[in-house]
Parts: sequence; C-alpha cells; structure tokens
Amino acid sequence: MSRLLDDRPFAPRDDVAFLREMTELTQWHRAHCPEYVRIWPVESEPKSTADLPFLHVGLFKRLLLQTRAEGIVHQRTLLSSSTTGNQPSRISLDERSSALQARSSLAILTEMVGPERRPLLVLDDARNLRQRGEVSARIAAAMALRPLACETHFLLDESAGRARTRWESLADVLTRFDDLLVYGLTFLLWTAWAKAGMPDEIRKQLAGKRVHFVHSGGWKKLESLQVQQAELERELLAGLDPRSGVVDFYGLVEQIGVVFPLCSAGARHVPRWADVVVRDPWTLAPLHNEPGLLQLMNVLAFGAPYHSILTEDQGQLLPHETCPCGRPGKRFQLLSRLPQSETRGCANV
Amino acid sequence: MSDRLHFFRCETGRCAVSLPFSLDGVIDDWDRLRRAMIRELPPAFSRDEWAYLLSFLAPEQLRLPFQQAFGVADATTTGAVRLLARPRGLVSVWLPGNVNLLGPLTLILVSLTGNPLRMKVGARGQDLVRPFLDFARPRLGDGPLARYLAEQVHVEQFGRDDARNRDMSEQAHVRIVFGTDEAVKAVDALPHRGDSSLVGFGNHQSQAWIEPACVTDDVAMLLARVFAIYGPAGCTSPRIAVLIGGTTDDARDLRDRLLSLWPKVMPRDVIGHVASQNIMARQWAAALGWDAVLTRRHAAVLALGKTGQEIVGGPMTLHIEPASFDEAVQHLPANIQTIGHALVNAGDRSWMELLARTAIKRFVPLGQMHFFGPVWDGMGFWRQLFEEVEVRP
Repeated sequence: MSRLLDDRPFAPRDDVAFLREMTELTQWHRAHCPEYVRIWPVESEPKSTADLPFLHVGLFKRLLLQTRAEGIVHQRTLLSSSTTGNQPSRISLDERSSALQARSSLAILTEMVGPERRPLLVLDDARNLRQRGEVSARIAAAMALRPLACETHFLLDESAGRARTRWESLADVLTRFDDLLVYGLTFLLWTAWAKAGMPDEIRKQLAGKRVHFVHSGGWKKLESLQVQQAELERELLAGLDPRSGVVDFYGLVEQIGVVFPLCSAGARHVPRWADVVVRDPWTLAPLHNEPGLLQLMNVLAFGAPYHSILTEDQGQLLPHETCPCGRPGKRFQLLSRLPQSETRGCANV
Repeated sequence: MSDRLHFFRCETGRCAVSLPFSLDGVIDDWDRLRRAMIRELPPAFSRDEWAYLLSFLAPEQLRLPFQQAFGVADATTTGAVRLLARPRGLVSVWLPGNVNLLGPLTLILVSLTGNPLRMKVGARGQDLVRPFLDFARPRLGDGPLARYLAEQVHVEQFGRDDARNRDMSEQAHVRIVFGTDEAVKAVDALPHRGDSSLVGFGNHQSQAWIEPACVTDDVAMLLARVFAIYGPAGCTSPRIAVLIGGTTDDARDLRDRLLSLWPKVMPRDVIGHVASQNIMARQWAAALGWDAVLTRRHAAVLALGKTGQEIVGGPMTLHIEPASFDEAVQHLPANIQTIGHALVNAGDRSWMELLARTAIKRFVPLGQMHFFGPVWDGMGFWRQLFEEVEVRP
C-alpha cells in the first residue's frame, strides 16, 4: 500500500518517494507482464519521472494487458466509452489496485466537494451497471463518488431508446434532503438536467438546496452546441444555495483512481501519488513551458501496467508555484485532444 | 456533340470506336491543361498527388486504354471492321471517403469514353474531384474537353443514406463503386436497370516482394516512397515487404536501410496524431513479438518479424518479413490485390504460374504499385464502359 496516500492529495509532494514507488512498480510489471517487458526490454535506472517508461493509451484498445502475480486477483474489465467504429479501451481491474483507486478518488473528490455523506444522483441508467464482467467508464466515474453517498439514485431512463430524466426520483430525494451530489457526463448535465424541462414544482423544491455537481467527459459535445463552461455553471447553479458548486474533472479509464479536478483558478492539480509529464510527440522530449502530449502516472496500478500512460490529450505544465486557489504542488492546463487528420487510403481502416 | 468514328487495328481486324468528340482534340486539351498544371499546385492537392496526376495525363498514357482495348490507332481506310464500340451511357461513380485521388483519375479515364458521368463524393471525405474541375474548367478554353466537362460531368457530395444514391443507381448504365465490400453490396442492392453493369472495387491489400539480391538503397527508397504515400491504408500500398528466399538478416538489412533513408523520403514531420499513433503501433508490434523500431521523429514504424505473425495496425506501420516462396504464397491474404516486385527475373515463367494459381490482381514493379489503369482488380473495367457491336460485312 503506497504511503503517499496517507497524506491529503494536494499536500506538499514527496517526489523522491514517488519516483521510488514508480520505479518499483515498473519493475513489478516488467517481471510479471510479458507484453510489457517485450515493449520495454531494457531496464534502466530513472533519475526523474520523465525517465519512466510508459504505454501509449491506444494500446489498451488493442490488447487486454494483465500483470499476473501472486496476490493479484483480476476481477472485472473496465471499458471506456467508444464512438461508433472505435474499439473501447479495456482495463483489467484487480482487488489490490481497486482498493487503492477507491481510496485515491475519494480523497481527491472529498477535497472538492467536502466529506459529508449525502444522496448521490447519477445521470445515467441503472441498467448500465448490469454488464457481467465489465463496467463502463461512466459508471465507474459515478461509483467513485459512492463513498460520499448515503443513498444512490440513477436518474436516467433509457428504456425507450431515448434518455428521459426521472424527475419523480429527484422529487422524492428533495423532500428528504437539503444537500445533494449530482454526477453526470458534461453534456448530460446540460441535456438531461439543465435543459431537460425540469417541472416547475421540482424547480421550486430545488431552490435553496445545496448541490454539488460533478462532471467529466469533456466539452466536445457542448462546444458543438456552443455552450461554454460559464453558461453551464450559471444554468446549473441558478436558484441554489450559494455554497453549491460545479466540479469538472479530467480522468481516463487508463488512469482509474486519479482524477484531475479543475480548480477555481482554472488549473488541474496533480495529487501527490500521481505525476504528469508533457512530451513532444515527435521526439518524446519532456516539455516544461510548451504544450505537448500528457503522460500521466500514478502508483495505484498493480494488475496491469497502466501506471504510466502516454495520452493523446494535449496539455501544458503551469509554473511550479502555489496556485491562486491555494493548493501547492504540480498543476497543468488541459488543452485539447490531439487533432486527427483524415487517413488517405482505400483499405478497410 | 456529333459522334465521330475512330479506327483501331488489332490482330483480329479493325475496330471502330464511336465517340462524341475528336479523341485527339480531347487528349490535346488534357495535355494543354497538363502544361498549366506544371506551373501551379492547388492547395487541395499534395505535391505527390499533383505529380502523379501530371504523369497520368501524359498523351501517351491517355492513348494507352484504347490501345489495350482496341489496338493501335489506324489511319488507313481499308480492311473490314469486326467490331464497333460505342459509349454505354451514364456512368455513376461512388467514390470512397478516403482515396481522394481516385476521383480525378476516374474522371480522366471516363472522359476518354465520352460517357456522361455522375460522381458521388463521400460526405465526410476530402474531395479532390471538384478542386480538380475548378482548376481545369477556366484553363481549358472552348475545346471538346471543356464542353464535355461542362455538359456531361456532375459531381455531388452526400451521405450513404441520401435518396440521390437510389437516383444515381436507377439511371446508370454502368455503376462503379469504390469502397468497402459492404459499400459495394449496398450500392448493388439499390434499384438499377436490368442491363446496367456493376464494377465493384472493394477491400484489398497489397504486398512488396523483394529478392535479397535486389536489395539496394535505390530499391529501399522506392519501397519507402511507395509506402509513404498512403501508409498501409491504401489498397495498393504494401502492408508487408516480403524478402523472398531471404533470411532474418536480409530482412534486418532492408529494415536498417529503410531506417536510415526514411528522413530523405519523408523530410517533413507527420502530423502530431500520426506521430502519436506510431508510438502506439511500435509498442503494439513489440507486444506481439515484432522487432519494431520508430523512424526519426516518429514518421513510421518498421516491424521485423516472421511470416504468418499477426500484423498490427497504425497509420504508418510497414512489416518486413523473410519468407520462402512457398511461405509467401501460403500466407497471401484472400483479398490480395497488388504484388509490387523487385525480383531478379520478374518475367520468369514461375511467376506467371504463381499468378495463375493465386488471387493476385496485379503484378507490377515496385514503383508502379499505385498506377491506376483501365484494368483494375482483375477487371478490364474501362472497356466495359463501351457497348460492343459485332460487325460482319
């Protein structure tokens, strides 16, 4: 169990301990995952996190990687959401890592929404939970909030082929509680909550309640609707208790357990058991003051080598000083997904 | 336009081909355009694409389809005509979303037949037909080609579910479909005339076959150039370079030559997404047991392995394997299209025997793998754009 998790996520970093744990984790995967050692056959002594090997995020769409060793019990497979024609990423979950990951995400989210237990309302259909042996990324993200919940309700009904918000469930919760936690994909918070035609009666019940909205999944769909972050937040928070808030977090299934919430100063903060390196896509050289590909790392993954991932997301490190939001440590700005170009060719690609 | 008879002679006699214009006039017009093309590069085209179009439009290239189909031009007036060919009628062409150059190439080939032409560009694909027409029309003056392009050629862009697909199919005398096997089937399922013919160009893949004795820096450069145009995505691009009769050391020698020559072939950086996908493909290949390396600045992946080993995807992954002749034949994919060769004696009878018993559709020198022509995917499709009338005087 990593000792880095013993402190609060955004407490001062111990980079020496982090590098040591990451190096040990890398050796662990080299010893027990045959694909990993074929990819990184040469062992080296890293002097910094930028020297640590990584796997490309796209590899998890092609291969189900597993590190098989004593004490590792693989359970279910976590699937990323995927667009039509694209393969989802597959992450093999195991007991040991899942315990660490749950502890990590709880610690990070508690920092953002507080430790109080309150009803969790998930903008998803409960039926999405019931896939044998597999769990979808959006359900996994919602379930990361479950330790903060005294009860959980799924607010979407997709049985008619089209998502309908179950306002009656919300009404029931509102009669009993003044403090709520709502999780949904970013575009669902807009389409299935803010602009879903909430009945006036429920709107009145909601007025003055303290609600923390937590969302993830990016802005692409809302940008296509020309909805900006400020507009989403204004719509969500209208009429609520002023202590309400909206938390936008960035996370990947390939980095389950670590989320990067957007702080009030517009930065993504890196918990002390994780790290971020920005790399040049053409040379892999680490970039300190320029945008590049984000490499994300954490010490939580034992069942498969997803502890160090080169993503296709572009970001830039922010100056290494205390953020205006008050948090110390490493922080970065998430910029965009690496733009794709059309493939020219005629094969079945 | 009035029809004109053009005469050709082959071993079985004379052929008359009726065209709605003077063939010499149309070829001269294309040549005039070609001279204008040398001076300008429209932004929609890459340099490679434009250079290929330039070579495709050479007058001798444009006469080649007639020569292959009907024989050499015959200016004499003697001799009985055995066959008359006339344009079939409307040709509808469904272009693929991702092989942009096929649009202009098909347009050029069909223009020689005088058939009216309706082309559909994929809703999401980059269209090179209309940029090419936009370039050509103002530069052609008032010749037969300009009139043909203005009156007989219609290009539209719409999706696979658009009602115009049905319309295109119903009216066509010839339906040409480029795309996946599923796309070909979908077009064939649309209502069509009973006498309409379908020319379907579906999924194919290609390989380069190289004998170790032929491996030089020039051959390696040629292989890299042919591959780099489309990566493995092109149906005429080599996904695998097979060292026929070679050893792993021979394959490694080719791989190392490619590695050092690659920056000359692709001096400019690939876009960031391709560089990133190549990092992924290198790792994927390594995980599956390939000895895979990235070329400089992540422009491509060169994966050295064994015949029959599972190949990986990625936008620029070239697999290199040594194989005996029999192994290479045994592992040919069912949808093999082109073998681009660098062989000691490509004219040897044994290669013809190979072609006779396999599904290979083209067997051409390495540098000609992408050369599109009137015979394609095992079909003399260009000749099918004519209706043929048997003549017995």
